[in-house]
Amino acid sequence: MTTVAETKDPSPRSIGHGLPLACFAAVAFATPFLLSGNRYLAFVAGVTMIHILWASGMNLLYGYTGLMPLMFAGLAGISAYMVVGLTAAGWSFWLALPVGALAASIAGTILGLPSLRLKGFYFTLCSLVIQTVVTLAFVYFSGLTNGDTGISQIPLPSFAGTPLSGLAYDLVLAASAVIGVVILMVIVQSTLGRRLIAIREDDELAGMLGINVTGYKMIAFFIGSLFAGIGGALYAPYIGFISPRSFDVLISMNIWLMVAFGGRGTIWGPVIGAVLLAPLSFLLQEYYTVKDVLYGLLIIVVIVAMPGGIAGGFKRKRREAAAPVDVAASRRSVK
Amino acid sequence: MSDVNLIILLSTISTGLILGSIFALVAVGVTIVYGSIWMPNAANGQFFVLAALLGWTMTVSWGIHPAIAALLVIGISVPLSYALEYVLVRRFYDVPNRNISYFVLSLGITQILTGIFSFTYGRWSDQFQLPPLVGGITFVGPLPVANNRLVVLALALAILASLFALLRYHRYGRAIRAVFQNRDAAALRGVNVKASYSLSFALGNAVIFAGGILFALAYSFDLTVAWTMSITAFAIMIIGGPGSVLGALIVGMVFGFTQAAVSTVASPTIAAFSYLGAMLLILLFKPSGLFAR
Repeated sequence: MTTVAETKDPSPRSIGHGLPLACFAAVAFATPFLLSGNRYLAFVAGVTMIHILWASGMNLLYGYTGLMPLMFAGLAGISAYMVVGLTAAGWSFWLALPVGALAASIAGTILGLPSLRLKGFYFTLCSLVIQTVVTLAFVYFSGLTNGDTGISQIPLPSFAGTPLSGLAYDLVLAASAVIGVVILMVIVQSTLGRRLIAIREDDELAGMLGINVTGYKMIAFFIGSLFAGIGGALYAPYIGFISPRSFDVLISMNIWLMVAFGGRGTIWGPVIGAVLLAPLSFLLQEYYTVKDVLYGLLIIVVIVAMPGGIAGGFKRKRREAAAPVDVAASRRSVK
Repeated sequence: MSDVNLIILLSTISTGLILGSIFALVAVGVTIVYGSIWMPNAANGQFFVLAALLGWTMTVSWGIHPAIAALLVIGISVPLSYALEYVLVRRFYDVPNRNISYFVLSLGITQILTGIFSFTYGRWSDQFQLPPLVGGITFVGPLPVANNRLVVLALALAILASLFALLRYHRYGRAIRAVFQNRDAAALRGVNVKASYSLSFALGNAVIFAGGILFALAYSFDLTVAWTMSITAFAIMIIGGPGSVLGALIVGMVFGFTQAAVSTVASPTIAAFSYLGAMLLILLFKPSGLFAR
């Protein structure tokens, strides 16, 4: 395992982010006011905030723990459907939100269990299968989810009796994105974060050093899925429409791409990735299918030319070409 | 047994045979590529649909005879594979743990093709139907079967058989299998490893294309087939054992019958649930598969 010595620990670069954080928070909270004249652009900004939250959650799992779960959108979907169902049944949105997010967390922790046995490609494939099963379930249990037609006209939540205005909800989204990034920063700088990074670098070694690999992976899944769940719960009333297609495997891939393209294992890389990529599909409007082609090309570019993402730059191309430091469960690599 | 039940049974068997042989074809294509260059090709379903759509364009829009169109489609796959291999796949041959990179790469290709299909073919039609290879109907017992589907079945089985013979007896096949087993030892014995890699990539994709065009000749299809096929082929490969051609063949046939039977009594979604569940169990408890080499 020579790679361990060579791989630079990215955490030192991500410490001391007080100033960027202040700037990010200022921009996030100012954007809804600046764009309040143009509802459409404000809406795109709001969706970007949700994607920043999602990308931060995915970053915790992919960037810091070294797992690549392609079921992320499915978890967001579980939370979204649950919150929509509960609010339709008369619950307050603010009560349904933590319940739905917690449901996504628990589901994510359980569905993350295969990561204890499977590594690298095999875990990713497993998560892809889980994502497919979740999507199929959304379609199949149409009594709860209205099947392929989806649920439309989801109202914006109300607060103290009056429905929230678009501007107020935009601020809620901005707050959630900022809080998400702050939580990720706190985690990364804590003992928990360092142990997760140790697991990413070499989980066998981490286990031998006395780190409870099973427990920490589960914690990572719990927190990461919480991000997914909160994002999903906020997404449903904001868009006003959810269907199985809103949470299918392509969405998981898109969130993964935001992390990988921005720079995995850095705080701000995925934020930049989300800011650059999330608005694309809205700005392309009727040519929105071009987005798929563009995203696909970017995936290939990231894999071939820039494994470190924007934040990592192009320069470490050769050395890090091996992307995740994982060994497949059943086969040893041939040199 | 009443006549109706017999018809249902026979139609399930015939559908199972056709679906099974097509599943087996695609899964064999995927497993050849995974076994040799260690590339889990998630884009197999998109290649499958690409072949079917090219066949549709050639027969319906250009009026080419379906048999010639099928040959042309399979022929096109070869330069396409070599181009793809030259531009993308070749870069990773020496990277350890390249399967995850390849997997993500092929997911990128999947997304590109999904986008392209939805703003080209997706705008033209929802459902695609190719003209039959041959007309007429044969009675198997009380069940009428279109001659066209019988020909498709025969062709699929013939391709599978010749593929098996190629891998077992021909020297190219033996070289591919030698590289499957031990790349370094094969290189020492004078096998051109890189050439055998590109050959198996092209061969695997040609087989997937053949599966796609045969499926299109037997059934009408839509664009959603792609993802279902991708995940089904993966399920077959994982259960059969990655790299095991025999495993892909057997499990592919089993899946075809399962699909046909479960779709008759329940729904295709239940069939999908069942084999995805089987795949998860195999992944968790016997990741080397049932027919591991």
